[in-house]
Amino acid sequence: MDRRTTLSKMFGQHVSDKKVATAPAPAATAVLSGLAPYMGAFEFEQAAHLLRRTTFGPTYQQIKDAVNDGLDATLQKLLEDRPLPDGPLNHRYENDPEVPIGEIWANKIYQPQPLRNEIRNYRRQSLNAWNVELLRKSGVSIIEKMTLFWHNHYVTANINDPNYTYNYITTLRENALGNVRELAKIMTVNPSMLRYLNGRENSRVAPNENYARELLELFTIGKGPVAGPGDYTNYTEDDVVAMAKVLTGWRDVGYFNMNPDIPMPFGRYVNNRHDTGDKTLSYRFDNQVIPNMGADEYKHLIDIIFSKDECARFICRKLYRWFVYYVITDEIEQDVIEPMAQVMIANDYEIKPALDALLRSEHFFDMLSIGPMIKNPIDFVFSVLNIFEVEYNDANLEAYYRLQLRTVGQPLEQMQMVPFNPPSVAGWKAYYQEPGFYRVWISSATLPPRMNFSNQMLGEGVGQGANRAAIDVLKFTASIDDPFDPNHLIDEFAKILYPQPIPQGQKDLLKSILLPGLPDFEWTVEYGDYVNNPDDEEIAASVADKLKNLLTAMLSMPEFYLS
Amino acid sequence: MKRRKFIQTTGLSIPLMFNGIPMRAMPKSSIFSAISNENDKVLVLVQLIGGNDGLATITPLDQYDKLANVRGNILIPQSSLLDVGFNIGFHPTMTGLRSVFDDGKMAVVQSVGYANQNRSHFRSSDIWTSGSPAGQQWTTGWLGRHFEQTAPDYPTGYPNAEFPDPFAITMGSLVSETCQGTAINYSLAINDPFNLNPLLDFEGADPPNTPYGDELSFLRETIEQTNAYGETIKEAAESSESLIDYPEDNRLANQLRNVVRLIAGGLQTKVYVVSLGGFDTHASQVVGDDVATGNHAALLQTLSDAINAFQQDLNLHGLDQKVLTMTFSEFGRRIRSNDSLGTDHGDAAPLMLFGSCVAAGIIGDNPEIPDNPSVQDAVAMQYDFRNVYGSVMMDWFDIAEEDVKNLLYPGFSHLPIIEGCETTGTSETVPFIEATAYPNPFSKQVNIRFNSGSEHVRLSVFNGSAQELKVLVNKKLTTGQHEFSFDGSQLPAGTYYFHLQLEGGRQKTKLVIKN
Repeated sequence: MDRRTTLSKMFGQHVSDKKVATAPAPAATAVLSGLAPYMGAFEFEQAAHLLRRTTFGPTYQQIKDAVNDGLDATLQKLLEDRPLPDGPLNHRYENDPEVPIGEIWANKIYQPQPLRNEIRNYRRQSLNAWNVELLRKSGVSIIEKMTLFWHNHYVTANINDPNYTYNYITTLRENALGNVRELAKIMTVNPSMLRYLNGRENSRVAPNENYARELLELFTIGKGPVAGPGDYTNYTEDDVVAMAKVLTGWRDVGYFNMNPDIPMPFGRYVNNRHDTGDKTLSYRFDNQVIPNMGADEYKHLIDIIFSKDECARFICRKLYRWFVYYVITDEIEQDVIEPMAQVMIANDYEIKPALDALLRSEHFFDMLSIGPMIKNPIDFVFSVLNIFEVEYNDANLEAYYRLQLRTVGQPLEQMQMVPFNPPSVAGWKAYYQEPGFYRVWISSATLPPRMNFSNQMLGEGVGQGANRAAIDVLKFTASIDDPFDPNHLIDEFAKILYPQPIPQGQKDLLKSILLPGLPDFEWTVEYGDYVNNPDDEEIAASVADKLKNLLTAMLSMPEFYLS
Repeated sequence: MKRRKFIQTTGLSIPLMFNGIPMRAMPKSSIFSAISNENDKVLVLVQLIGGNDGLATITPLDQYDKLANVRGNILIPQSSLLDVGFNIGFHPTMTGLRSVFDDGKMAVVQSVGYANQNRSHFRSSDIWTSGSPAGQQWTTGWLGRHFEQTAPDYPTGYPNAEFPDPFAITMGSLVSETCQGTAINYSLAINDPFNLNPLLDFEGADPPNTPYGDELSFLRETIEQTNAYGETIKEAAESSESLIDYPEDNRLANQLRNVVRLIAGGLQTKVYVVSLGGFDTHASQVVGDDVATGNHAALLQTLSDAINAFQQDLNLHGLDQKVLTMTFSEFGRRIRSNDSLGTDHGDAAPLMLFGSCVAAGIIGDNPEIPDNPSVQDAVAMQYDFRNVYGSVMMDWFDIAEEDVKNLLYPGFSHLPIIEGCETTGTSETVPFIEATAYPNPFSKQVNIRFNSGSEHVRLSVFNGSAQELKVLVNKKLTTGQHEFSFDGSQLPAGTYYFHLQLEGGRQKTKLVIKN
């Protein structure tokens, strides 16, 4: 069976005449194309695919702009560096002597108790609300998806001081498109990391190997097959012990800093806690001996680890699972991961060239790569908010922050993805747990919250009066080219919301929800009536109700959970 | 509500008191077996996530001095430990578990683990949930494989008349990897059994045979399953009640309380998985100036209070012979503590079982602490975890030994961790008369003679390290006197045991081989 012919039949559309696979496909799930640049058409479906995977909920207009700009220009825009966003604001607390309401609190000192807890509380709320705002406004840039990628990679959780969390996430954002090896150095002595993986307790007298183990297993080179007792091919248990010693001596400045001379949380080196002896690595690292290098020793260690090319493969596999799909066959390993890793190595572990190669590849735009990713809860929630451009009134800062928090706080918790609180040091299970991977997001416990969220945003929304935030179905519909034809309207909605075309039967069902028992022209008449009488609230409400019915069904269909 | 379920529900919940006699005091024969003609046993797994420090949970008192040398900064004063006999001290917060233990409803299997221990959380959890050897990566769960044998087509065609309820339920938002089958997970994740609203379910065309189609099918199936089972689960939960007050603010008790309501409500689900996280105590396992308090103490208290309440609730519902509970954790921790008042990833640890059908007491020897353990040393394995799993499969779910070997590993050997409860139907038992072995001591062959009714009998021989050497009989015998012989001529001199299990009793007797 010729895979491409079948596919083009299946989806009833023309498949561009790039290389036609002649060999019979071994299995439906085998995606055979490689890292060579994609030369096919860059139309709505391809542009939408690229933006869905790299941003949070692209709008109709953003997708059309991308089609106009073409693949090169769109990729360039996605990968562009951007200045860091302004920090989170004090949105409500009147008694912080350092930070008046409306000003940025990040890196400002704390006060003695009982003020300290109150300051911590407003800052924590503010940080979470600010994070919602960033994801709402992230636009056509890969930076927020990459920041979340690194959060899922260099996990920290249960960090008590919002200044630490701000410092942590800002460090990731700042380096999101930078150098993979340098980021490993930065995170090794990041104060939140020193807390989360006990690096601050790691001392000459009693080494704590928690960070050293995860550094190897999860952050840099990964665990290979077991080759012998305590030997994981890429490193051994002895390396964990030796590296823990290399990493001794690092402390953080402490939560809730009140010393104005300390500008922000940071990792500090304490010489008398550092093991100054020689550390000998195993044969997996060529028996290298690391002499005492004091505060610079960890950098040397990271350089040694990254001298092994396996690091590039390890990180490229993780990027693949973040941006493409979770199944990595031998062919994908050979035709996608390996060449991508070589790009990364050739560019001295700069991440942009490797990302660029992946996101412009034939493989990325292969029909079989489009649509099989189950959106994680953050992606799902912000798809709903951003595709429909849900507006938040920012006239009152406190109400603005609170409402953004209320919109996503509980839903994300119920869907099992709380920012700044991944469940374990390996991150969210969807990106490592075999064999389910993304399917881990979906269960009888997490499906109802997804449906509740879209229903609520299409219905009463959140908040009240001037501060209500909800999907405006009329505004959304007006943005569609030619919304008067119900068939065209459903086609366009489906193109925006779903990664692949839906069959005619499903479209018919949707039309029967929009127009129960009525002929098509009634929609044209009713909608036309509304457009001609935009101030007639009754007409507007009845048209909006029909559209809500349609969109409630469309957002509840599992196709919308896919990207 | 379905008629059949209604009958079963009343059958299980009415006879709390039967003519004024509490259920448990009644002869165990009629009521349960009359309701169900098939295996109606339930297994509850309690996953202790993070790697529980076994040495601080169930402390070997005969090793106390050695422990004091190497984990003095976290070791709880001996006088504070709860001495339960057997040279064992429970953590002082585990008063609830001590009463379960004293009640004869708790078994501790010492030093459970596996060869070539992997100290990665993720790999070791995968090993424990899949039942694989350390060096192999299996993507199915140990219970998932079992369900797959029964229901290879699941979820197509389920629920149905024969299997109206989910095979397994995970209390929480993520399904349990123990129940992972080749293509689908056999457990349903449930946060709140009282609040399960049906999802919109649209019949689409058959999805294409592509990755996109695969994921779409998965989503549709999950939606259908959620709806299909939702109502029965809710009905079960609502048709029963808790008979005791559970401890408040106890995240494990909240899960277990719902488990009892579902079982008592007549749900025929075979496996429930609950979990308690936070056992990865690299730092601040204890509070420095009061080592009996701190993170680990709080966790054990949560566990102990929850299990105690759960077990009482089961007793009051008359479900204590139907429900077996078992803990597991990805590994124990190092023998030496670290300088952060914590412990790092280790190897074997005790595994706990609860219920009226467990072989109450301590199985295996206390771990031996070396005189001067290295930083890397941890508790050595005494029992392979798959022997525990397999024995549960055999004795609780009536899975034949051959199948257990296929599902787990060929080297499986049975452990006597369950006793005293019927697992299937009714059978005739006779008063237990002690078995005799002769000659004993012996050098070549020993003969073991006993009486049985028409019942399932298991007789096996162990060496001094509690390894099962040979199963002499493991089947249903006819009423009368039986004799089996064991050839010890190839074995070194020393102490051995035979272990006899009948429905009416259980016996462990020393055998001595002399030169």
